Amino acid sequence: MASAAAGQADTFPKLLLRNARERGARTAFRHKDLGIWQSWTWAEVAEQVRAYARGFEQLGLKRGEKVAIIGYNRPRLYWSMAAAQWLGAIPVPVYADSVADEMAYVLDHAGAVFACVQDQEQVDKVLSVIERLPNLRHMLYDEPRGLRDYDHAKLHDIGDVIEAGRTALKDAAVSAVHDREMEQGASADLAIILYTSGTTGRPKGVMLTHYNVITAAEIGCGFDGLNENDEIIAYLPIAWVGDHVFSYAQAIIAGFCVNCPEGPETVVDDRREIGTTYAFAPPRVFETMLTLTMVRMEDAGPLMRKVFHYFLGVAKQHGEKILNGEPVPLSARLLYKLGDILIYAPLRNRFGLTNIKVGYTAGEAIGPELFRFYRSIGVNLKQLYGQTEAGVYITMQPDGEIKADTVGKPAPQVEIRIADNGEVLYRSPSIFRGYYKDDEKTAETMTEDGFVRSGDAGFFDESGHLKIIDRAKDVGKLNSGELFPPKYIENKLKFYPNIKEVVAFGQGRDYATVALNIDLTAVGNWAERNNVVYASYQELAGHPQVYEMMAKHVDEVNRSLAAEPMMGGAQIKRFLILHKELDADDGELTRTQKVRRGFIAERYAPLVEALYNGATEADISTEVTFEDGRKGVISATVKVVDSKVYPVTTPAITPATKEAA
Amino acid sequence: MNAHSMAVAGAPVTHKGEVLLSVESISLRFGGVKAITDVSFDIRKGEVRAIIGPNGAGKTSMLNCINGFYHPQEGRITYKGVRRDKMRPHRAAAAGIARTFQNVALFKGMSTLDNIMTGRTLKMRKGFFWQALRHGPAMNEEIEHRKVVEDIIDFLQIQHIRKLPVGKLPYGLQKRVELGRALAMEPELLLLDEPMAGMNLEEKEDMCRFILDVNNQFGTTIALIEHDMGVVMDLSDRVVVLEYGRKIADGTPAEVKADQRVIDAYLGVAH
Repeated sequence: MASAAAGQADTFPKLLLRNARERGARTAFRHKDLGIWQSWTWAEVAEQVRAYARGFEQLGLKRGEKVAIIGYNRPRLYWSMAAAQWLGAIPVPVYADSVADEMAYVLDHAGAVFACVQDQEQVDKVLSVIERLPNLRHMLYDEPRGLRDYDHAKLHDIGDVIEAGRTALKDAAVSAVHDREMEQGASADLAIILYTSGTTGRPKGVMLTHYNVITAAEIGCGFDGLNENDEIIAYLPIAWVGDHVFSYAQAIIAGFCVNCPEGPETVVDDRREIGTTYAFAPPRVFETMLTLTMVRMEDAGPLMRKVFHYFLGVAKQHGEKILNGEPVPLSARLLYKLGDILIYAPLRNRFGLTNIKVGYTAGEAIGPELFRFYRSIGVNLKQLYGQTEAGVYITMQPDGEIKADTVGKPAPQVEIRIADNGEVLYRSPSIFRGYYKDDEKTAETMTEDGFVRSGDAGFFDESGHLKIIDRAKDVGKLNSGELFPPKYIENKLKFYPNIKEVVAFGQGRDYATVALNIDLTAVGNWAERNNVVYASYQELAGHPQVYEMMAKHVDEVNRSLAAEPMMGGAQIKRFLILHKELDADDGELTRTQKVRRGFIAERYAPLVEALYNGATEADISTEVTFEDGRKGVISATVKVVDSKVYPVTTPAITPATKEAA
Repeated sequence: MNAHSMAVAGAPVTHKGEVLLSVESISLRFGGVKAITDVSFDIRKGEVRAIIGPNGAGKTSMLNCINGFYHPQEGRITYKGVRRDKMRPHRAAAAGIARTFQNVALFKGMSTLDNIMTGRTLKMRKGFFWQALRHGPAMNEEIEHRKVVEDIIDFLQIQHIRKLPVGKLPYGLQKRVELGRALAMEPELLLLDEPMAGMNLEEKEDMCRFILDVNNQFGTTIALIEHDMGVVMDLSDRVVVLEYGRKIADGTPAEVKADQRVIDAYLGVAH
């Protein structure tokens, strides 16, 4: 299918030239800079990439070498990928917010010879670990600010490199050779190496060929009917497979426009200005948008607030059914229409989702409440289950078959099998070629018949939709032998807007406990409205009233766990509120903001101990790392609170993980 | 400061020779109170010059003299080779001297963008009539100025607050906007009155970065008052120290730090 749709164009540079030929005048990229959306057509982009590639070659880049790409979503960083691919070199995008040490590991492991970086911050970061990077020959930057006095022997402005390439290409002979170089690229060549942030251990480099990425992109484009009229905003880490497939691969395949925001803080405004038709976000982004709105609504006038909540109620009752095309009484339809004019449409506009055709959430399980909320106000939000190793897609939700608690049916061309231990295995044309320089891990992950072990436990429900409960290795057992699914408990709690992060403990223990992180925006606003005085995050987190609030949430979760099959044993006996926010810089979260449970259990060992020895408080001091790499220590006394456990109302049946499809 | 970046970016001390402004034997009194007594120093082109001293040492008064807000009773101020004892602030501004204030002095109800645009007022050539019409030449001029302002917004990384009223912004950002407004004048000499006061560590580091970048990128001469000694030592090429209105030391940060009188002034001395 891949080559059929793409014709002769079986690599990204070839596809780029195809776009320049077939839709040369259409806008390919926009970047908001200096307050204005600067734009480039496909013809211009192709021309830039071609010259850029020549510039690369003049600096000595060879086929098969690796080029690290570090920064936020900038057109020129995407072009760096295409330019490297032009020469048969392999781009390796790196998370822009990773600290120097992590970055050094990836650059060194990949053996990057060039690094294309966004600005001085990243240049400094790379320079600070330069002695660990013997392979690195040149560094290129997009933003010259502050770099004037740096030694430019091995440091280049991307603009100059492109210009040098352009000048050289004026020579017809050079130009012809240059194009032949690109023609040599084949679909089986490595297109990209994406390092997974990984919940454990060092990141692994996932190798994907042009064929893999093109196939993955076509699966998505076909599934949702994406075409050149679509608009997307690129704001997720370029090192993440989602962004690579959505903002790079699919944009080039379908020919739609990629919009790069001014900066990470302006994404919401920029999205509103563009009116994207296609969106992709981890649940966290949707959660933040909703929390902010709800917090602001608390400050609105009483009439406004009443109208708002009334119509949200209407939406909750009928909105999803209307979106799904199910029968709804006429009166409800009319009421919903009125609500749409008064509340939903302005809300969608506020979120920048007015023109949205389809929105995806992935990376983490989304709270059913949150998911339903967006669908009920008319946003076609869907869930997707994917992995870097799969080239993203494993399962997707087809229109009209959307359920909040499942991740949908196998994506086109994807086969899924459930292993005996409940683990989800998948196979498709887009799955990866292996981990870079790590055959052992590759062998561990791939089965002999070409399936990939996802590491997630799940089962198919009666309608053929996949339901993921947790990481396969994380679904544990309490000492009593009862099931302990930490993520499941964590997610239940995280769906309260005033809880930001949760870590559940219980594996090999007598009972389940949790450590909570409050959401400073939500709880801070609550404190303001209730005249609760606090001087720091730590003080607010330890406030008795905050504890009371959290106790209520824990109680509700226990009630719901008690009512579910097999989950009753995992009710939370004790909990505490952490004195500091969990942070990726301290290694407590992954770069994609997932909690690293094992690491946290070690780091907060005194607290975990207190959760199990019956103490009512515990002392803790933890080292924190600031963004510039310096370290400090935070110490605190944290209270530990008991909560009520309910009798289990449903009988325990065989674990759902065994229910293979 | 960000140690390694400093080493690369901030180290070279070059082409800082020619005197841009010199202050000779200045004295300033308010009735019987002597704010400044017989102080002389100079500011050379392209340097970062710090003025430090304990509270009430006369630092802000000194800046006020330089930009013409106060007129010293005695002494001479020479700017770009021209003597100017009695200069009004707007003349100083027109001559290329811009400043920020110890307590932020912005138009609280106006947006960041508009506040910085006010910094362009002196550069506007079209009269009130054209401005009011918002068409033709005035519009073109406005676009030109907006470009300059957008460059500054980009430079100071305040894109996300472009359209927000400054009164709603945190203090650290307000300080940054104020710096932006001063930069909008494209000054030759930039006077900063405690640019880091009341900021947290991160905001301070950002501000240091911006000050160095302004100096480095636009070659703007900077005179700043600051209390944070770490900041002063990192940023400035030369430091003048005042105490009770008198100059007690003048030299490179290292020299000043080693000066016994400065140590006494800051740490106190048994009398």
